[in-house]
Amino acid sequence: MADTEIVESYSQNFESWINDFSEWQTRIGFDPSWLGDYRFDIKFDWDTAGGEIEFGDFKGMPKWERRMQIPQQNIMDAIITMVSVQGDTEFASVEQQNHLLASAPTEYDRKSALRIMCEEQRHGWQMAYLLCTFFGEQGVREASKLLERNAQEGTRILGSFNEPIDHWLDFFCFTHFIDRDGKYQLKMLSTSSFKPLAASMGPMLKEESFHLGTGANGLRRIVKQGVIPIALLQKYINKWVSTGLDLFGTDDSTSAQWAYVYGVKGRYDERESGEEADRAHLNEASRELYFEELRKEMVRISKARKEGEPELYIPSDKFKRGIGKYAGQNYTVHGEQFEGTESEYEEYLVTVLPTDKDEEKLVNDYMKQEWIQYREWKQ
Amino acid sequence: MEAIEGDHMQHHSLTVFDKKKCTHFFDYLTDYFFQHHHSEEQRPDDYESLLYTVKRPYTAEMLDDIDDWMGLPKRQWREETQREVMLSLYAIRYPDTLLIESLTDKARSDIKRISAYLHFTHHTYSIWDEDTRKGLAKLGINIPSIEEADPFIYGAYVSAIELLKDVAPFTCFLEHDVPRQRLFQSALAAYGRE
Repeated sequence: MADTEIVESYSQNFESWINDFSEWQTRIGFDPSWLGDYRFDIKFDWDTAGGEIEFGDFKGMPKWERRMQIPQQNIMDAIITMVSVQGDTEFASVEQQNHLLASAPTEYDRKSALRIMCEEQRHGWQMAYLLCTFFGEQGVREASKLLERNAQEGTRILGSFNEPIDHWLDFFCFTHFIDRDGKYQLKMLSTSSFKPLAASMGPMLKEESFHLGTGANGLRRIVKQGVIPIALLQKYINKWVSTGLDLFGTDDSTSAQWAYVYGVKGRYDERESGEEADRAHLNEASRELYFEELRKEMVRISKARKEGEPELYIPSDKFKRGIGKYAGQNYTVHGEQFEGTESEYEEYLVTVLPTDKDEEKLVNDYMKQEWIQYREWKQ
Repeated sequence: MEAIEGDHMQHHSLTVFDKKKCTHFFDYLTDYFFQHHHSEEQRPDDYESLLYTVKRPYTAEMLDDIDDWMGLPKRQWREETQREVMLSLYAIRYPDTLLIESLTDKARSDIKRISAYLHFTHHTYSIWDEDTRKGLAKLGINIPSIEEADPFIYGAYVSAIELLKDVAPFTCFLEHDVPRQRLFQSALAAYGRE
């Protein structure tokens, strides 16, 4: 059972990183007073992290608690990369979203978004703490980079975290589809052979559940209200699903395989699955579970639609992929190979992805109306 | 375990706590939550509506809507009492409950009412519920039954739910946009009734 430790004192490296963090907040326009009483605690759940390495070639050995216990430099590099990528996404999402606070559809949405941004920053803190505390100069350098890359400049590590989130429909899609990928990544790291990383995941996963609930419920409230046409909503779903699927990485990934061999990153259902892992197709397996979860969630969201409206659906995992075996190929949202020229495919994409005209209509017409349930206090 | 009253309550709930007793509750927490929160009596759609519609500046109509959802009789308060409560809703900061002590007897006369106002205006305070209290007792956290708003006893109730949030495994945390306190308070209510 979980018993969370909150770290009380920090190393000098991390203290100086905190100064950089304050400057980063100012630079991106996040007013620290918005945090209120919220504190960026470093939390570890050592119990659920486990004591023995759970999979891979080091299975059965004690989990590594310090840098010096990690047997090879390439394993340490893999851990630093995992922590850096995770931290990068946390700060990126705040850069993408913080401008939305001023246009929240309701006060509760504003508070929810603020809470999400506070917690994403805490997750970033946690990752920076791991880098500064456990990985010496190399870690300190990587922790600095977490605050140097920027989503608005398109320099964040992963594609989804450089995408603009221009309005609240994108925000709900992001929290539903992209934060859900985040849940998968956190769960895959929760069984890590590096114990401080594994122990960081429990408290982060607790917080992530609210983020996902906010996204799913936001989409449900939009569908229920029925102002934004389902066909337009479908276009946004098409846009975000493909980028969410790409976040799981390449097919036949050797780096995923090595991470598994090292015990650094497991499968999403590592502890629940009784089967041996297919090490050559780890990314595909996690992506398939995610994809199945998306389909189930969309059935639930779609139930809120008005009578006569078409059902929302999750597009094919072949559609508009930037990574993997379908990358760069022309598929329809239903997974059929597109028969036609490149320019015809471009014309097809206009019918299934949001265009500038759609954005204009969404923001300046639909969103000026009562576009989401509980838009205004009923005076 | 004997209940300890008064200002020892908060301390008591945090130190004398046996996590092992929570195993079953945590294993079935999501089921318990659905049993209670999504029951017909709890009117989940109306609860959700209150989450989104109660906001600053607070009005008497908002408090009426909360009373209605709670199934409470209409407030028989003078204007000053209502103003006093409204001001306290603006002033109070989670997890403080001591501000309740400064309220007049009339304002403090119903813990269910005050706790519901706190819940819907702050989303962090938990609604006082007898079944939830019984659920806590089954986990070894004995909190006395009260009618009036006692800041220490309510403080212990709030802290106990906060403690459970802290020790619960992440699998307990449903993908739901209700406040986490509501998730645990609802689940405890169903568990307390069982």
